[in-house]
Amino acid sequence: MRSRHLSPRTRALLFLVIGAVLLTVSGFIGELRTYQGAQVAVYMIAIASIILLTGYSGQISLGHGAVMAVGGYGAALSFNLWHFPFAIALLFGVLVGAFGGFVLGVAAARLSGPYLAGTTLALAVGLPTIADQFHVLGGEQGLNFDIGDPPRWVVRLEGGDFTQYKWFFWISIVVALVALWGITNLLHSSYGRNWRAGRNNAVAAGLAGINVARGKVLAFTVSSALASLAGALFALLLGLVTPTAFPLSLSFAIVTGAVLAGVGNLAGSIVGGVVLVAIPELSGSLTTHLGNSQKVSANLPGLVMSSSLILVVLFMPNGLRIRKFKKQVKTQ
Amino acid sequence: MFIDTLLIGISSGAIYSLMALALVLVWRSTRVVNFAQSGQAVLSTYIGYEICLHTHNYWISLPLAIFAGAIVGSLVDLLFMRLLISRAKSGPIAEIAPVIATLGLLGLIQSFIGLVWGNTFQQYPSPLSGKGFTFGSHVIPFSPQNLFIVIASAAVLAIFGIIFKYTDLGLALRAASFQPEIAQLAGVRVSRVRNIGWAFAGAAGAVAGAVITPTSTLSPNSLDLLFVSGFIAAVIGGLDSLVGAVVGGLVLGIGFSFILQYIGGSVTFLVGFVILMVVLLIRPQGIFGHKVNRRA
Repeated sequence: MRSRHLSPRTRALLFLVIGAVLLTVSGFIGELRTYQGAQVAVYMIAIASIILLTGYSGQISLGHGAVMAVGGYGAALSFNLWHFPFAIALLFGVLVGAFGGFVLGVAAARLSGPYLAGTTLALAVGLPTIADQFHVLGGEQGLNFDIGDPPRWVVRLEGGDFTQYKWFFWISIVVALVALWGITNLLHSSYGRNWRAGRNNAVAAGLAGINVARGKVLAFTVSSALASLAGALFALLLGLVTPTAFPLSLSFAIVTGAVLAGVGNLAGSIVGGVVLVAIPELSGSLTTHLGNSQKVSANLPGLVMSSSLILVVLFMPNGLRIRKFKKQVKTQ
Repeated sequence: MFIDTLLIGISSGAIYSLMALALVLVWRSTRVVNFAQSGQAVLSTYIGYEICLHTHNYWISLPLAIFAGAIVGSLVDLLFMRLLISRAKSGPIAEIAPVIATLGLLGLIQSFIGLVWGNTFQQYPSPLSGKGFTFGSHVIPFSPQNLFIVIASAAVLAIFGIIFKYTDLGLALRAASFQPEIAQLAGVRVSRVRNIGWAFAGAAGAVAGAVITPTSTLSPNSLDLLFVSGFIAAVIGGLDSLVGAVVGGLVLGIGFSFILQYIGGSVTFLVGFVILMVVLLIRPQGIFGHKVNRRA
């Protein structure tokens, strides 16, 4: 499907180079930009989870914000309660999210289109209310997620001015690159091929010996694992997890990011991540020019996002990418 | 206590039925779940609110809000859905394009409302009292406004029932949703009939918004949860059954009311999600749906 294929070794090298460049760059940009860079990385992972789910496996979820919350709560809980080291806490959040995704995926494999969208939407509304039910989840107040100062060796490596935000940036970028690298490899493996086959023509794929339903469940599980990874990092950036930190609008935003970037290609997640951070930023500065009205500043980002979403669906179903792709194989 | 809970359940169930009805009308005519339905409803409610601000009369604003809802529904179909359906036929997001596009429309409507009226909570008062009826010394939580909600919803449902059952238009609407091509051959102007379906749906949503809002506050997002309840209700009843939408709405409203009374309010939507899952996995066509018509 892709016109350009990199060998696994070149791909790994490419990710290493990107990582090295980004980490070097972090020394030369301001605090705010560093934080935004970390946000882009987190959104990238979240959008990649939707791209994998929608673009490759043909399913949809409007509830991935809730899955992110599961990851965030899992990481924060294990970090605070059982004093897991940060990396293990992150992994724990991912495992909890993946398990939840597996359960949901078993049901999701039997639903399609609007049914799945509505069901996951109901999940996104319903799941955060669990936090009120269990004392250990902290109710409305949520849980703190403070991993403390960057470790000594990092500070020594970078010199004196190593800030918290820069540390978050490093973590997010490294995690995002490792995750995207892993997913790229997965999508180029037989699993990825089977997902695409099942998506393009379920009957033909089944005849070719592919278990389409099992593939869908697996895709939902992997996608949820990615989303909860993003959620755990999201909680890290916020410093806490609360039921309201993962609103419906977050679920919508990552779907929007994925569609704007084009769901057909994982590389789109980078574009999507940048767009999600850039639109509020740009409309913020536009609002200042328009006279700083409260109404405008609160609604311009939403207006821009939803109009571009509609325009993309109508006129550029492959997303905002410049490179032309080969025509998709028609399904019927 | 039991009767109180039941009455409150019927009142909220009536609202869910209206929203479910709106979703079913659109689904039958276009095979699209309209995620922008709550946005359309809240926009018509804001129009009613604005008229009420100028005229100081709820009873003038209500029919105008309903009329506005019908116009909005019709315009969404004309300007938006027709383009979407003709354009997004293939490509990587063809299957989910209606979901994504109506979500985009929802965001567009809500930010438009925010730009015009702001995101603060508004009051859209009704002349009817929100205080419960009193029987002797016992005050029940069921108020005159609740009674009006039930009456208004029942009236809308009855009108739709009569239209669908006894008029030529109703026959055309049913034919167009059952077999569009054959209906076309039989002389039904399917695209116009579809448009009427969208207008009816918009009107039903507007009634729901305009009668429920006086019991709480109005904001661009104030009807979002109503959409989720309406969707669950519509799926319980079967997405293509009008009777099912009403029954599903009432079942869900009464169920939620009892959960609220005896278990606690915070779990209602989680229970709603579980109900939705169970229905979809055991009887995906819903209680009143027809299996053959379901294309999902």
